[in-house]
Amino acid sequence: MQLTQKKRRRGDLLTAAAVAVLLAVMAALLYSGSLTRQVTNMLIPTAVYIVMAVSLNLVVGLLGELSLGHAGFMSVGLFSGCLVAIALADTALPLAVRLPASMLAGGLTAAVFGLLVGLPTLRLRGDYLAIVTLACGEIIKNIITNLHITGGALGLNTAAIYAGAKELLPYGAVLVLLTVAVMLNLKRSKYGRAIMAIRDNRIAAESVGLNITRYKLAVFVIAAFFAGCAGVLYGHSLANIKAAAFDYNMSIEILVIVVLGGMGSVPGSVVSAIVLTVLPEALREVADYRMLVYAVVLILVMQATNNPAMKRFFGSVRERLTPVRKERAAL
Amino acid sequence: MTNLIQTLISGLSLGSIYALIALGYTMVYGIAKMLNFAHGDVIMVGAYSGIVAVAQLGLSPWVTVIVSIAVCAVLGVVIEFCAYKPLRQAAPLSVLITAIGVSYLLQNAALLLFGSQQMAYPKLLKLPIFTVGGVQIDGITLLTLAVTAALMAALTLFIDRTKLGKAMRAVSEDKDAATLMGINVDRTITLTFAIGSALAAFASMFYGMTYVYIKPTTGAMPGIKAFTAAVFGGIGSIPGAMLGGILLGLIEQMSKTYISTLWADAIVFAVLVVMLVVKPTGLLGKPMQEKV
Amino acid sequence: MKKRAFAMLMAVVMAFSLMACGNEADNGGSGGTDDAAETIKLGGVGPLTGGYANYGLSVQHGAELAAKEINAAGGVNGKQLEVSFQDSQGDPESAVASYGKLMDWGMNVCLGGVLSGETASVVTAAKADDMFIMETTGSADKCIDGNGKAFRICFYDSYQGTAAADYLKDNALADEVGVLYQSDNDYSAGLYSAFVAECEKAGVTVKEAQTFTAATATDFSTQVNALVNSGVKVVFIPIYAEEASTFLTQAKGKFAEDVYFFGGDGLDGILGKVSQDVSIADNVLMMTPFAADSADPKVQAFVKAYEESYGATPDQFAADAYDAVYTVKAAVETAGGSTSGADLAAVMTSLTLEGVTGTMTWNADGNTNKAASAILYKNGVGTLFGQESAGAAA
Repeated sequence: MQLTQKKRRRGDLLTAAAVAVLLAVMAALLYSGSLTRQVTNMLIPTAVYIVMAVSLNLVVGLLGELSLGHAGFMSVGLFSGCLVAIALADTALPLAVRLPASMLAGGLTAAVFGLLVGLPTLRLRGDYLAIVTLACGEIIKNIITNLHITGGALGLNTAAIYAGAKELLPYGAVLVLLTVAVMLNLKRSKYGRAIMAIRDNRIAAESVGLNITRYKLAVFVIAAFFAGCAGVLYGHSLANIKAAAFDYNMSIEILVIVVLGGMGSVPGSVVSAIVLTVLPEALREVADYRMLVYAVVLILVMQATNNPAMKRFFGSVRERLTPVRKERAAL
Repeated sequence: MTNLIQTLISGLSLGSIYALIALGYTMVYGIAKMLNFAHGDVIMVGAYSGIVAVAQLGLSPWVTVIVSIAVCAVLGVVIEFCAYKPLRQAAPLSVLITAIGVSYLLQNAALLLFGSQQMAYPKLLKLPIFTVGGVQIDGITLLTLAVTAALMAALTLFIDRTKLGKAMRAVSEDKDAATLMGINVDRTITLTFAIGSALAAFASMFYGMTYVYIKPTTGAMPGIKAFTAAVFGGIGSIPGAMLGGILLGLIEQMSKTYISTLWADAIVFAVLVVMLVVKPTGLLGKPMQEKV
Repeated sequence: MKKRAFAMLMAVVMAFSLMACGNEADNGGSGGTDDAAETIKLGGVGPLTGGYANYGLSVQHGAELAAKEINAAGGVNGKQLEVSFQDSQGDPESAVASYGKLMDWGMNVCLGGVLSGETASVVTAAKADDMFIMETTGSADKCIDGNGKAFRICFYDSYQGTAAADYLKDNALADEVGVLYQSDNDYSAGLYSAFVAECEKAGVTVKEAQTFTAATATDFSTQVNALVNSGVKVVFIPIYAEEASTFLTQAKGKFAEDVYFFGGDGLDGILGKVSQDVSIADNVLMMTPFAADSADPKVQAFVKAYEESYGATPDQFAADAYDAVYTVKAAVETAGGSTSGADLAAVMTSLTLEGVTGTMTWNADGNTNKAASAILYKNGVGTLFGQESAGAAA
């Protein structure tokens, strides 16, 4: 059953190609004017959630640690990056310079915060780490809400840098592709294997000389960087941003995406981010039940992936659906 | 001076509620070794059960107390059976995500049933406000403190002296060894959840009588803060939960009065972060050894 | 692996193209409505589910009631009104998608958002469209800025904060005040900063300012202590009724009996919140353009019709939405039946409308001018402040 390295590579390439094709199709539909306003307005948030989910998957899926402060990093990036963007808005620079520059600024600030939060807390594991990341996210929210420069409780007015989907889509597409590529490459690299070794058996990993803190920190910083970049993009698509929106509930919503898509699976996160952004819009009439369904999904996925009986059941279903695998197993 | 004493009293009032919630947290964490994220939401359900019992069923206060305890205990056992039991062998990450799922499930079910608007918790008891030398003490604060202390003592005795308590400690130390000694691990953990959730029912009553208004999200913040309190005092330690709860209440109210109400949230969470980083075992907790 | 990835890609592509195609047909349909022009489509966005649903539903009900009345009376220039509200759950991102959905539906006039955050994003997203926005309740100062075709019914926050300070001064209520506001809420923080600025000008001292956040809105004991100790006779509480009811419940019996709790239209509905013990709301002084128990026959008729339709007393939100739909009617009629955003925006500054929230005229920046009166609560009954005798006579 074990796939060879080469075949895995091919799977990665296919994932990247699939995402690229999807983005190209959406772009073609958008610029030819055949998308509805509703779908148009959902393109950028969907791209943002893909980046958020894939980057959180780095922490949850690859490292096996639960971070409940991902929305906090997003908001750090969002506010710092959008402040840079607002400052640049009056200059003669074109959007193609301003947006990447502010994204980089936001991403780097978020990465610095990832480092600041990560340094002292990454000695912790499991429940404790989860609750500390939650606490850090709430502290970040509290600080941004009390700062003058970020507009305080009234929120940051980003109308000056607001841009529609037609302007933002290329940047969103590049960011999505970049995140997916980095995540896929990392997963297959020496570092990725080291990180997964830490996830699977920390003590064994330590005993073969892996510097656990350094790897964990690197994962945290990279995830925070992409969350920050996604935040800047998000800030451009709305006119008023309040720090209060980026609380632990938002972190949990991103976690739902990751869990539903499969922990550690990049294509899973991408598809699940799309489905969970599109579905609630498509099914507005039952919006009342959305969060209830999310909760049930979280519980059921956990049961299904951990219960031996259910695992066997899903395993057999998968085998029946993909006869190719069976042949390979027989070989 | 009066101001300081008044602040200390409001700190005690808040802290005793945190302590009461933290008792339930620490009990479940200490024995089942899992963070029951939904504990705060069990409190919310308990509070709504009290509202329904009095306002819609017209039950007397004493019956309401029993109804709340029964509802919470049964809910705790059901949650454990449906959501946590199948994950006994799973990674802590999966259990934590499930607990978050349960928390969301309870909140959103309550949102659909009772709506987003707050409802008033019935006055189960009429207690006077005492005034001593210009300082006001609410009777309910004194009662909460007394009940929390009594429950703490009862729990400690139960765990230290009874056979079931001994079984719980054994399960907490080593599940496999406990099984070999003839202890029914599943039943012991179910009992732990029943007791922990019954404690949540007490918390719901005193929360309701102190702060009156109940919403579907009522349990979330106090739940997280009570967890902070449990960690502060040393998670798994029952006297630690009491100490941690009261200290956290005092810290929160003192920082509101003498630093700024703007930063109270950040300060409380910063306490948690600093505590976990500097002394993860808390004030009264015992160090945990990791096995290979 | 290969097949699975391919299948997944195909599924996603198909899902999107399905949505795109499915809606293309809609597009064609809505293009046709302009020619046929049988109805005028009013679209609104607001939280209809979730934690803020009460506000969104009030707005929806108020708007639907007005449309029903207008349709029964022959419509607008002979055209019937059609109202559609889309759920945002209070989330700006969802609100922008909802605006898109309404555009696909063929909306002619937009009733904006309900909360300020979502309103700002909808107003900005609509900037490039020829869409008139008759905002109902988005009150943050800047939330309709940057779009010349956006006007609003409600007060803007700093206007209300300023008016509150002036009211204190004009009625010689107090020289020293205490304030309790919610630091992470835009409405509350907006009123607070304008109030403080105006107090400074008017010579009123803000002796004690206390805050809380959504996360700490359950325990007000330190704030109550501080405000009691400051000895002020008026406490300004620019917060919402829900938080106010919690605060007042904990404050009961701790303040002197002649202390007023002075608030803005956010306090609307306070009696319903403290229904167990209405004396908790004693001495609450609320400044509002709309009072459900006003003697004005127009208000009485609205309250009666609303209660018959929805089984609840209308609040400020419902009244604003009700007036918004009547304002759209007046604007369309004045503009000779046009629903073009530019045409409607052009006539707005010349309109004067007598609504249930008062007599309104509009500035070019989209804000309205109308008077506010103060209502004093005692034993669960609200009367116009300073006119207790007149109120009783009426």
